[in-house]
Amino acid sequence: MNDRITFCLTIIPALPLLAAVVVAVLGPKLLKAYSHVPVVLALAGACVASLVLVGEVSREQSSVAVRQAGQGFEQVVTYWTWAAVPDALAAPTEAAAPTESGASAATSADAKPRTFRIDISLRADALTAMMLGMVTFVATLVAIFAAGYMHGDRSYWRFFATVGLFVFSMTMLVSVSNFLLLFVFWEAVGVCSYLLIGFWYEKPEAAAAGKKAFLVNRVGDFAFTLAMFLIWCTYGTLNYHDTLATGATDPEAVQRAVVDPGSGELVAGVLGQSRIAAGNYVAGGLATAICLLLLLGACGKSAQFPLHVWLPDAMEGPTPVSALIHAATMVTAGVYMIARCTPLFAVSPEAQLTVACVGGFTALLAGLIALTQFDLKRVLAYSTISQLGYMFLALGAGSMLGITGGMYHLFTHAFFKALLFLGAGSVMHAMGGVIDMRQFGGLRRLMPWTHATFLVGCLALSGIFPLAGFWSKDVILASVHDKVHAFDHELEHRHTPHALHDPAHPAPESSAEAKPSPLASLTDGQLAAYSKIYNVLYWASVFTAFLTALYTFRALCLTFYGEERIPAQAGHHAHESPPLMVAPLVALAIASAVVGVLCIGTLNNWGTNKLTTYLEGAPSLAAGAITATKVPAEFHLAVAGVGTVAALAGLILGLYLYLGDRKEARFLQQMFDLQGVDRLTDPQWVVGLERVWWIGLVTRFLRRNYLGWLVTAIGYVLGVLSLILAIPLLVGQFVSPYKLSLHKFYFDELYNAAIVWPLRLAASVCYWIDRWIVDGLVNLVGAIPPAVGSVMRNLQMGLVQFYALAMMLGALILVAARMIWAAG
Amino acid sequence: MNELSLLYNYLAVGGILFALGLIGFLVRRNMIVMFLCAEMMLQGVSVSLIGFGRYHGSLAAAGIASAGQAEWSQAAGPWGGQMLVIFIITVAACEAGIAMALVLMLARRSGSLDAAFWQDLREEGQPAFVDQEVPEERTEDRVWPVLTPAGVRPESDPDQLLHRPRV
Amino acid sequence: MSHWLLTETLHLSEALLLAEGLPGWREVLLCRSFWAILLGGLAVWLLLPNRIAYGKTLGGVLGIIGAGLFAADWPLLGNWTDQGVFWLLALITIGAAASTICSRSPVYSAIWFALSILGTAGLFFYNGAQFLGVATVVVYAGAIVVTFLFVIMLAQPAGHSDYDRITWGWFPKTFSVLTAAVFVGLLTMLLGNLKTAAEAPVEPAALAAAAERLEQPGGVLNSAHMANVGKHLFTEHLISVELAGTLLLAALVGAVAMAIQGKPRLATQIEEALR
Repeated sequence: MNDRITFCLTIIPALPLLAAVVVAVLGPKLLKAYSHVPVVLALAGACVASLVLVGEVSREQSSVAVRQAGQGFEQVVTYWTWAAVPDALAAPTEAAAPTESGASAATSADAKPRTFRIDISLRADALTAMMLGMVTFVATLVAIFAAGYMHGDRSYWRFFATVGLFVFSMTMLVSVSNFLLLFVFWEAVGVCSYLLIGFWYEKPEAAAAGKKAFLVNRVGDFAFTLAMFLIWCTYGTLNYHDTLATGATDPEAVQRAVVDPGSGELVAGVLGQSRIAAGNYVAGGLATAICLLLLLGACGKSAQFPLHVWLPDAMEGPTPVSALIHAATMVTAGVYMIARCTPLFAVSPEAQLTVACVGGFTALLAGLIALTQFDLKRVLAYSTISQLGYMFLALGAGSMLGITGGMYHLFTHAFFKALLFLGAGSVMHAMGGVIDMRQFGGLRRLMPWTHATFLVGCLALSGIFPLAGFWSKDVILASVHDKVHAFDHELEHRHTPHALHDPAHPAPESSAEAKPSPLASLTDGQLAAYSKIYNVLYWASVFTAFLTALYTFRALCLTFYGEERIPAQAGHHAHESPPLMVAPLVALAIASAVVGVLCIGTLNNWGTNKLTTYLEGAPSLAAGAITATKVPAEFHLAVAGVGTVAALAGLILGLYLYLGDRKEARFLQQMFDLQGVDRLTDPQWVVGLERVWWIGLVTRFLRRNYLGWLVTAIGYVLGVLSLILAIPLLVGQFVSPYKLSLHKFYFDELYNAAIVWPLRLAASVCYWIDRWIVDGLVNLVGAIPPAVGSVMRNLQMGLVQFYALAMMLGALILVAARMIWAAG
Repeated sequence: MNELSLLYNYLAVGGILFALGLIGFLVRRNMIVMFLCAEMMLQGVSVSLIGFGRYHGSLAAAGIASAGQAEWSQAAGPWGGQMLVIFIITVAACEAGIAMALVLMLARRSGSLDAAFWQDLREEGQPAFVDQEVPEERTEDRVWPVLTPAGVRPESDPDQLLHRPRV
Repeated sequence: MSHWLLTETLHLSEALLLAEGLPGWREVLLCRSFWAILLGGLAVWLLLPNRIAYGKTLGGVLGIIGAGLFAADWPLLGNWTDQGVFWLLALITIGAAASTICSRSPVYSAIWFALSILGTAGLFFYNGAQFLGVATVVVYAGAIVVTFLFVIMLAQPAGHSDYDRITWGWFPKTFSVLTAAVFVGLLTMLLGNLKTAAEAPVEPAALAAAAERLEQPGGVLNSAHMANVGKHLFTEHLISVELAGTLLLAALVGAVAMAIQGKPRLATQIEEALR
């Protein structure tokens, strides 16, 4: 056990939690405008600890023992047992569905009743370390920025307390070693997100947006819980890591139990090293079900189609929140979760295909929507959805390159998207809260630092060499491209076992030959179909790269170029932001610029990516089926070329359209809005045709030769045809490509009609039943005493003497009764 | 004198007095008359107690009571009734004092001594009691007790009557 | 008589005061007291303020008949002097009491009440309670009635009020008289045994012994009356006397507090006087 790792792992969540508690307790009365100090200090401390952790994990991973074992490195710290229910699961069904390899002979422990044991345990491995480093680094910079951005807000302390709480939850989310705890903190970040979106709850839009985010996430969370139930029923544990039956995680004892399966003490974790090494995973429909449910959960959190609708609305929150939670950290939780569950996904190519399709479709959809939005933050929000779609696409590729590439893109995206959001926040700060790009422009001279850093962010997002986005996007494109060839290769390999490999796409390493590819379970037809689908996805992602550059530079030009316009709301704020806000921008800009370059390997092996290599040390990626897809490090020059060309095309088109007087942009807008279609609906244009000189020649010729009737007939036919054609065109005007994009493809309206209104109708029916039938019965019962009482009520006439008379009569009755009793 | 007869007669008179007081208290609406009636009921009880006292005195004035009931006989024997009546008079005096203050205050608030004016305790929605028809006062009832004039009629200054130097 | 005198006092009361059986209808109809109570009740009903023509006269006649019937049903005292004095006092007390509740004018009520008190005081004297007789006259006739008259004068300067002529609704008079009649009837039934015992022939020796006992040094009719009252009051009932004093003080304070509360402010009084 590495004590330094234990210490760092403990202190990283503890510091933000402590700061949150301190600010929540002391903030309102004592700290007030200094509420950011504890949070910034704690986040900086956590950031330092995270960097130490990254280094330590790297050192441990490269140790000889770990490399020889080939199972990756993990260290689990168990604090206490949260729950322990003995005999909770009688007999796991795992043994019933062995994988096709036959390597999953159920261990004797699996036959025993299982204890439902939830330990509060954190883990350190490459995935966790990378996420922790990214989260704490971005969070620190965002907190510093927010100290300037939120300055003077009435609930300053509340903001920082919640941010502290969020960072605590997020760090816990990425470092827990149990699905249930993952879910707990999955919800906790959701709550923090809700609180921060609705931070300005006086605004009805903010409150509604918070509610929407929360409710849409519930759909995903429901799927996640179902996935958790399935995992528990299938694998008999919710832990990632291997433990003994007693819950102990001592590595040596666990190792002994692994070596001696007869002892029955081992409880192989769902993502435990022993299970991964043994390949002990169920396959088939059950695996696909688990994966799809997990995917739906991830879709909710990471705003993927069909649950993407909450993220754009979440921009009602303060901009630092958008930067931290809704761009860099929380929304990547889904990506992290799927990467973490790679061994589960690896056995289900169908699930991987679904992940890829969801990702690719979302990327394209969000990119198209982003093209027409006028709210700067919404453009960035759709960009985030699009980039998250990229990550899902990469994860869906399912290869080592894809998964590490997805994580790599997550890593770089965090920097440049946080940078862009903070830049937008800086603009918003200067413009007095206005974020509509039609109301301002040409801010380049007014805000030089913001402009420069925003430009860097735009270039990085567009994937321009050599900024961060270029490298990670290239890896994603390459992984999808490789996937297509993997299918083709598998198909080819299956029928001609010793066929020569295409040198451009070498076969998997010989060491992995022992483990059959998971693709072996697919039929030939499926292989061909999958290959085609991935091919489509590849080109869709290339097109998305083009769109990305286009909308990014559209936003840049609208904001910073053209004539200088400043809205009235800006007032005296219209100047460059204070240094406190510019400093994080600069830091993030530098990070966005260099983080990609820093990750590339040495000169002689420059295809190697240091980060992806690092991630391969995580247990989920270090062993098992995924290693079969490992290819030698290589830089895909062709793919990079295609990607760069697409990005540059988008960039240049964006600059061409939106620099200058934007005449072309308006023309394109009208064209895509199908304006002018109504001209076609007027049959008179047929008459006008004659004025075109060559048609005129023909008609004059015809008329002269007594064929005028022919001209008339053709004219009528054309007129009627145009009338028939006009109907779809007129309808099309309402769903023109431009309008579709502007109205976000009417997803909100669709969901309203399909889900919200039926539910509301059902609720009102239930309300009616409750109000008039259930309550009616209760009220009926309640109405009996008053009815009886109303008879007696007339006696209460308020006259004192009446009461005296009544009392006297009562006394008389008592006396008479006593006499009769005594006499009888 | 037949002591048992005397006791019976006193009890009967006390009972009638009590009954008359009861009727008056329940029927009359003038608050002062109501309190006179309450006092009358107390008088009825007092008469009964005096009768009991006399009867017990005739039974066991001194030392005739057996040893087992000595204390009881001492306390409630010939004098117990009179002692009780003394305290009844005391309590009646207290009651009269408070009743007078109450009646004064209520009369000042309502402007009359009518007990039926105070009926705010009635149930919500219950109509207030209103006199339906008040009979004309008969001529023979329009008489007030008059004191026979005696001595010289004092000179009264109308200004002084309005602005009293002392209260 | 000796039978009752020899019985232990404690049990005597129980035996005397509880009827041994309910009377039958026949018994009741033959009983003078029943008709006396009936007539008396009717008389009071007629006498109370109402609109019946000749109500007062009819009521008075019925009342006299009822009183006579009732008195005739009471056991005799055995001595016509005593009997006459008692009847006179009883007549004064009850007649004045009836007049109190039946007078239309509260002033007359108060005066009749004073007379009733005097009758009561006479009954007290007659039964050997001299101190109480004097105290009753002083406290009631002297203090309370005068005070009430004072209040009446203050409160009713404008003449007779409507509410002295009517009662509150149609039923209170009937019900009240009925209640009171039932009360008296029950009491009479209750005292049935006592009456039987009183009407039994008595030995003169027993009468003499009782008279002697009454005039013993500690007896009720002893000449050292005040000494006996004082002795009992300030020895056995000392704590009660203290409590009674405290009660009087509390009542005094309460009366003053209430009277002040109901009084308008001095400035208002002056303004009203000036107007």
